[in-house]
Amino acid sequence: MDIPLVEPGTVGPCPVAPDALQGIVRQQTNPARWNGEGWPGFVAELRTAGVDVAESASARGIFATDAGGTAYGMPHGVVVARSAAQVAVLLRAAQAHRVPVTARGGGLTTEGESVAYGGVLLDMTGMSRVLTIDRAAMTVRTEAGIYWHGLAEELRREGLDYLSAPLNMTSSVGGTLGVGGIDVNSARLGCSADQAIALQVVTPTGEIVECSDSENAELFQRVILGYGQFGVITEATLKIRPYTPLSMHYYYYSTLREAIDDLQLLDRNDASDYSGILTIMDCAVNLLVAFDSAEREAAFKANWEKQLRGHGEFGFALCMVGHYARRPWRLGEALYLLKRKQAVFPEFRRPEFHRDGRMDDRTVVFSRAVWKHWGSRNMVIPDLATTADKFVEAVERGNAVCRKYFRHYTLYCVGIKLRADHAAHYEMSCIPPGAEGWAYGCEFEPMIEGEVYSRDHFQSFKNAIYDIGVDMGASYYRFGGMMKGYIRRVFGDALVDRHLAMKRKADPAMILNRDVIF
Amino acid sequence: MRDVDVLIVGASLAAAAAAKRTVDAGLETVILERKELPRHKICSGILSPRGHRFLLENFGPLPREVLHEPTSCRGVTFHFPCRVEMPMDFFHGTTPHLHRKYSDYWAIQRSGAEAHDRTSFAGLEDKGDHVLVRAVRNGEPIEYRARQVIGADGPSSLVVRAVYPDYTKQIPWFFVGQKFHEIIDCPLSPEYFHFWFHPGLGHYTWSHARDGRQIVGVGFKRGDNFARKHQVVEAYLRDKHGVQLKPADDDHEGCAENFGPSLINRYIFGKGNVLVTGQAAGFLNMIGEGMSCALHSGAISGEAIVEAQRRNRPVQEIYRKMIASEVRRCSDQWNPLKIAFDRPHEADFPEALMKLSWRERKLVLRDMWNFIVLFKEFKWGRQIAAAALQRPLLGGYPLQKWL
Repeated sequence: MDIPLVEPGTVGPCPVAPDALQGIVRQQTNPARWNGEGWPGFVAELRTAGVDVAESASARGIFATDAGGTAYGMPHGVVVARSAAQVAVLLRAAQAHRVPVTARGGGLTTEGESVAYGGVLLDMTGMSRVLTIDRAAMTVRTEAGIYWHGLAEELRREGLDYLSAPLNMTSSVGGTLGVGGIDVNSARLGCSADQAIALQVVTPTGEIVECSDSENAELFQRVILGYGQFGVITEATLKIRPYTPLSMHYYYYSTLREAIDDLQLLDRNDASDYSGILTIMDCAVNLLVAFDSAEREAAFKANWEKQLRGHGEFGFALCMVGHYARRPWRLGEALYLLKRKQAVFPEFRRPEFHRDGRMDDRTVVFSRAVWKHWGSRNMVIPDLATTADKFVEAVERGNAVCRKYFRHYTLYCVGIKLRADHAAHYEMSCIPPGAEGWAYGCEFEPMIEGEVYSRDHFQSFKNAIYDIGVDMGASYYRFGGMMKGYIRRVFGDALVDRHLAMKRKADPAMILNRDVIF
Repeated sequence: MRDVDVLIVGASLAAAAAAKRTVDAGLETVILERKELPRHKICSGILSPRGHRFLLENFGPLPREVLHEPTSCRGVTFHFPCRVEMPMDFFHGTTPHLHRKYSDYWAIQRSGAEAHDRTSFAGLEDKGDHVLVRAVRNGEPIEYRARQVIGADGPSSLVVRAVYPDYTKQIPWFFVGQKFHEIIDCPLSPEYFHFWFHPGLGHYTWSHARDGRQIVGVGFKRGDNFARKHQVVEAYLRDKHGVQLKPADDDHEGCAENFGPSLINRYIFGKGNVLVTGQAAGFLNMIGEGMSCALHSGAISGEAIVEAQRRNRPVQEIYRKMIASEVRRCSDQWNPLKIAFDRPHEADFPEALMKLSWRERKLVLRDMWNFIVLFKEFKWGRQIAAAALQRPLLGGYPLQKWL
């Protein structure tokens, strides 16, 4: 049988009628396992060069899946990253032997992006040292395999903080810079990737290159938010700031629309340092507002707090009692809200993390709460990223999909301040085309609660959410891996083909993170 | 004795989907097939768009060799004794017309699993932590030791018989057969799969174009005569639809079908370390399309094995929880409440019905009822009604009815 070879990233010939699967790109999205051709020669070359390759089942088995827990793959071998020079040796050999290399930090991808379907898995957590902290320039130079909580630990000793990091702190710095990273201060400080000043990158052909906005700017543009396609980030220089505890305020809404309007009001007017929405279903919508300084907090209270339509905790509880008293058939939902409130709220108010009424420090509080109350064996978090004006509609449509597929779920909405000088970084990324000023993202996260769902059920749910994105001209945070069929649908062939041409030039054998985007 | 992680019986689409999941997860997987690969399989070959998407996403774009001519099908046309025709296009466009001999072989190859053809399954013994499987290759006995076994060997599953020896006596069996005719003149559109709701023709009557010939297919309760049933349908097509066909060629084919379990939520998923999937488990969509649910249920069986090993949980427990979504989707297609108030199929029957005049709608519903009455002897009515009522209350179909 003649099975035509399809070049990675391209759409192969398809003899089924052109009107089949309308709107769906004829692309394999669950990758075929690499056949292992050339593996022994590759390993021999690496060992001669002093690079250790672990091939035991136990060494490989721990990387069988990612945080999503639905994609499974098994690398032929694992290399723990030790230095840029070692990574360069690995990539040069991989290029010569055409062996796929999958880079992995915290493994917090959800669509199998950090799962190796054969080939070598490069475990970046071996490069996790903080190299220098420059208080004068307010920068830190760190190896990129470090987890954010590891970096926070080092910075706190100096009374310092990074600008922004994902709420889930076991993601690595390198991985985050490669995809974006959204924090509750992103509406003010931009996505986590935007705090990178300079990077040391090992290109897919094994050159070690320093890049920044002024040096090798084109590589810098491609690597930031580049989903690991144009190089392995081995070191990063990040902006830092003095550490401050937070004063937190919570406002409660019963409709998504009002909460989102208020969130955008705060963002537009730079009225808060931190802002985001976290919900229990669509019934209890919490607008979180926080401040680094008493001055900013006072200005908010004087100018903006009265304009918010949310309630305080007590007022909202009364509203809920009235709401469910009129709808006794929804008692189950009311009980769930109560149970969830009792479990989650204390986590954000634990006395050991509060001093003088201020949260100290959010890194621990948020990360701990995220894992404990939102984490499960399956992190299935489809999302939509839109321009500010389309955001309410996107969230409401996505919310309707959540209601259809799962009993309980949560939504997490946050704004992302865009840097005008980083427009090139945002190309073909989670930042939606046409976004100016701010982009907004919403994650739709079902509560798994010990249930077991098939991958197909999750996939149908994700497809339903992502179809909204296609319809609305949005983008996604997680469009790689199993969801890469949406890339051409949302970005169009011209842009994707341009990036594919750049990828081919940078990575002739298409070995680095090959099934993630292309 | 060959020691493997997963042994799959039957080189079907369900087997390929299961193997895709287990091979991806690094499990050593062997597929047993009694015939020589690529093997022939009787099937209409009209895959649903959902199945097409699964094949595309998991195995890549289909090569030309795995398709018959015409390579695609636009939809389904229902015909009724009142002579009303209801053409319905598939949602999302046309769908492939698979050549099962090659499509299954292609999918098996793409799954990355090792296939042992000309190897017949002969029995198994579940030892608790592994399963011993007996097989015969070229007349010689051969044994496998597997951590889990998946039965993906179709309606007359030998794995099901090995696990539930009495099962075949518990359900009604049907025979479906198709004959191939050279065409003299055929007014039936070659773009559609044609189905007749006609109690006088049989339980399952269809026709469509394939490779320049016309298929005339009949399905009936086992025990009736294929040649006679086929003759009746051929004459009906000639007299009522003006279909002029040459006498059937010699390559007619037929097989036994376990039509019924998906209607009444009586699926069979295996015991212990033996999982049953695909049509062997009873999955069959409306109009007898079993490939898309075979692909999805097969994948779920593979996922369940991977998940059970990772969680260190009994595989049946995981499989039955995971398969619930596919059961919902498949049994919804037969659920009268879902048909009336939702859109469980991949073509829009309610919309097509609403396009008809009031008089035609009445005639169609009358003819459908008369057709349904043909199935009265199987006493499925109450079970379908009970399942339909339980569906909104439980959010699914009761697990207790599954074997």
